Amino acid sequence: MRELVAQYLSHSISRRRFVGGLTKAGLTATAAQSVLTAVTSVSYAQGAGPQPNPPPAAAAPAAAPAASAPAASVVAGVKPFQGPGGAAFADQLIACGVKYVFGNSASEDAQFYEALVDRPQLKYILTPHEGPGAAMAAGYIKASGEPAIVMQAAVVGMANAIGQMFNAFKEQTPLVVYSYRTDQTRRAGRDGFEEVPNQEQIVQPITKYSWLARRADMIPETIRRGFKAAWTPPYGPAYISWHSDFNDERVRTEIIAQELMDPRMRVRPNPDEVQRAAKLLVDARMPLMVVGDEIYKAKAVAKAVKLAEMLGMPVTQVRQLYANFPETHPLWVGSLAGNSLNSLNYPKSADVIINVGNKFQHNGPTPIVPRGPKFIDMRIDHGSMGNVMLTEVPLVCDVGYGLDDLMAAVEQLLTPALRQKAVERTGDVRKFSEWAKSARAQVVNNPDWDQSPIIADRLTWEIAQFADPDAIIVHEAGSVALHSFDFNPIGGRELFFYYGAHLGSGVGTAAGVKLARPNQQVICLVGDGSFIFGPTALWNMARLELPVITVVYNNHAYGGPHSRVIANVPGGRMMQTGQFVHDYLGQPDMNMAAIAKGFGVDGEVVESPGQLREALVRARKHTVEGKPYLIDAQVARKGVAWADKPWVPPIQVASLRQKKV
Amino acid sequence: MIVWRNLACALACALSWLPAPAQTQESTPGPQHPGRSVVMSKCFQCHTDAMFRDQRQDRRGWEAAIYRMIGRGGLWTKEEIMLMADYLGTDFGPNAKPATQTR
Repeated sequence: MRELVAQYLSHSISRRRFVGGLTKAGLTATAAQSVLTAVTSVSYAQGAGPQPNPPPAAAAPAAAPAASAPAASVVAGVKPFQGPGGAAFADQLIACGVKYVFGNSASEDAQFYEALVDRPQLKYILTPHEGPGAAMAAGYIKASGEPAIVMQAAVVGMANAIGQMFNAFKEQTPLVVYSYRTDQTRRAGRDGFEEVPNQEQIVQPITKYSWLARRADMIPETIRRGFKAAWTPPYGPAYISWHSDFNDERVRTEIIAQELMDPRMRVRPNPDEVQRAAKLLVDARMPLMVVGDEIYKAKAVAKAVKLAEMLGMPVTQVRQLYANFPETHPLWVGSLAGNSLNSLNYPKSADVIINVGNKFQHNGPTPIVPRGPKFIDMRIDHGSMGNVMLTEVPLVCDVGYGLDDLMAAVEQLLTPALRQKAVERTGDVRKFSEWAKSARAQVVNNPDWDQSPIIADRLTWEIAQFADPDAIIVHEAGSVALHSFDFNPIGGRELFFYYGAHLGSGVGTAAGVKLARPNQQVICLVGDGSFIFGPTALWNMARLELPVITVVYNNHAYGGPHSRVIANVPGGRMMQTGQFVHDYLGQPDMNMAAIAKGFGVDGEVVESPGQLREALVRARKHTVEGKPYLIDAQVARKGVAWADKPWVPPIQVASLRQKKV
Repeated sequence: MIVWRNLACALACALSWLPAPAQTQESTPGPQHPGRSVVMSKCFQCHTDAMFRDQRQDRRGWEAAIYRMIGRGGLWTKEEIMLMADYLGTDFGPNAKPATQTR
């Protein structure tokens, strides 16, 4: 029997002869089939190496769906596969739970496209530019919590998507990106068409994992590792690649369900540290909680609310992607506006600060958590803990489990007197939050409130009045203050902010969010500068009938860089002459509604608050009918040193023309 | 339009040179405008003086600028807003002398 197995594994005898030999040796037919299945599975798992390609005439039917694989698996979730590498690619994506592929045309992925014909459960969304396409995938992943993949052509496609990979890295989104190496195995290294050395290393600093598969039969394993790296908390992007000819090569390999690879990185905190944290919190005179995106990702918002309520603890948030706490809650004291928690209006003297899931983006030399208060840091992202702030109690954990354990420990320590103290503190915080709410409402008292072109605050306020109670706001309008929405991730309005700030993500993100959440209103707020970096996803909205309302804050300028440049060179020649080369996007003014029409999306230009309200009614009508809509809102330029007609550098080719051609 | 939401508190740390604005340097020291102390206590958490050092605008312009900071996290009473606008419109109005030397 050993000889028979050896002959079969070395392909010296056929399957029929192998089974026949087993029965001759005394096995029943059923037993022989079992041996066959086991041996086949082992041979696939070991990687039988490349299979010779059939002659061209026989190549067509090679992309057989997984259902016709040669042998059944003996291990649940593990399926032997035989066929082209491109088909193995498709089957492994399905086994990873992928439903959508966001891709741009790539000729060397032909066998993958071929495989899709018989795998309708894997849907390919053609995106006309890799950047917005990757943003769309990221938006889908963030809003659905489900895996997806971005596919591009070689290094050239990858280069276009790098900006959104950077965003995914900064915001810790599990985005998996694939592109092949255009050089084929037998001619690699000759500086061929679209070839660059060490392609996978280009994105190494902005990915959790980047890898080049060395053999065609390792395509599925490489995919699994990519998804495992991306989806193991703390999340982040992964990049996978292989030589393009691997997609055409016939392979024997295994397709394995992703859950069999998941390390289940949802861990509980150290119990001793939990006790220390609980003691600090209950003994605190004024505790303060900072919330962050790990709460949203762990679906633990309600738990964060409960902990805050147990202690009567005020809550704030430092720059993040999501709104992670109900802004309508009486313990919410507002987002941090400055660079340190010392700049909060309230509380002014926290003695214990607990961070739950915030990565803390430091944009200045001052530590966000000041020296003095005891600091409890609860996060799964241990790599970024303790880098800047002194940490009294580190709690490395899934914040959902961490909050469970911490609440249980706090509950054990709470005495009637401590509970009463928490009640009194809640009353104090409520007084502040109610006052703050009325102070924020004064935004409508701006003397420019009714002007045309409309001021940005009025535009934001009108949209906030218009938005559904559970609308999702995708925000990529950099210098626009986001107010009046009262975000509430527990069934209310949600926020998808542009945390990474590689521009051009907004429209694509909104398309992906709507794909994931078709039953919620999605409104994309985007600056004109940001919009023009990535409008191609409008075409996807039109084609897929994704009824997103896109509002462009069009001040024909880069407002943020304008102000910051002045701040960097105060009183300089730019200020004296009014010659700013870098910020004015007018003359001619861009018409974003016309651009939208070119992509198949209806839209209009508005200038006054009255026109805006009428346009929003039309936008709603369109979305109810399943169509996207774009409003190009003309926004006033406000701030230092804006001229009515800004200076434009005198670069004109007309005087150089000798021929009218 | 590239900025941070938490650049927010946005107005005027710009005015950190306020203790000695150019106009008052040349005049006899007298009672300070009550709006000055409000600006000093309410704006400098977020701002440096650089962005607004040479800004000159009338009271209405300053009032609008202060209101634009509300959406960015600035929290004031109406009285505080009026005091700040009065002060800034006076000491940093269109006719106030430049605060910094020309480079």
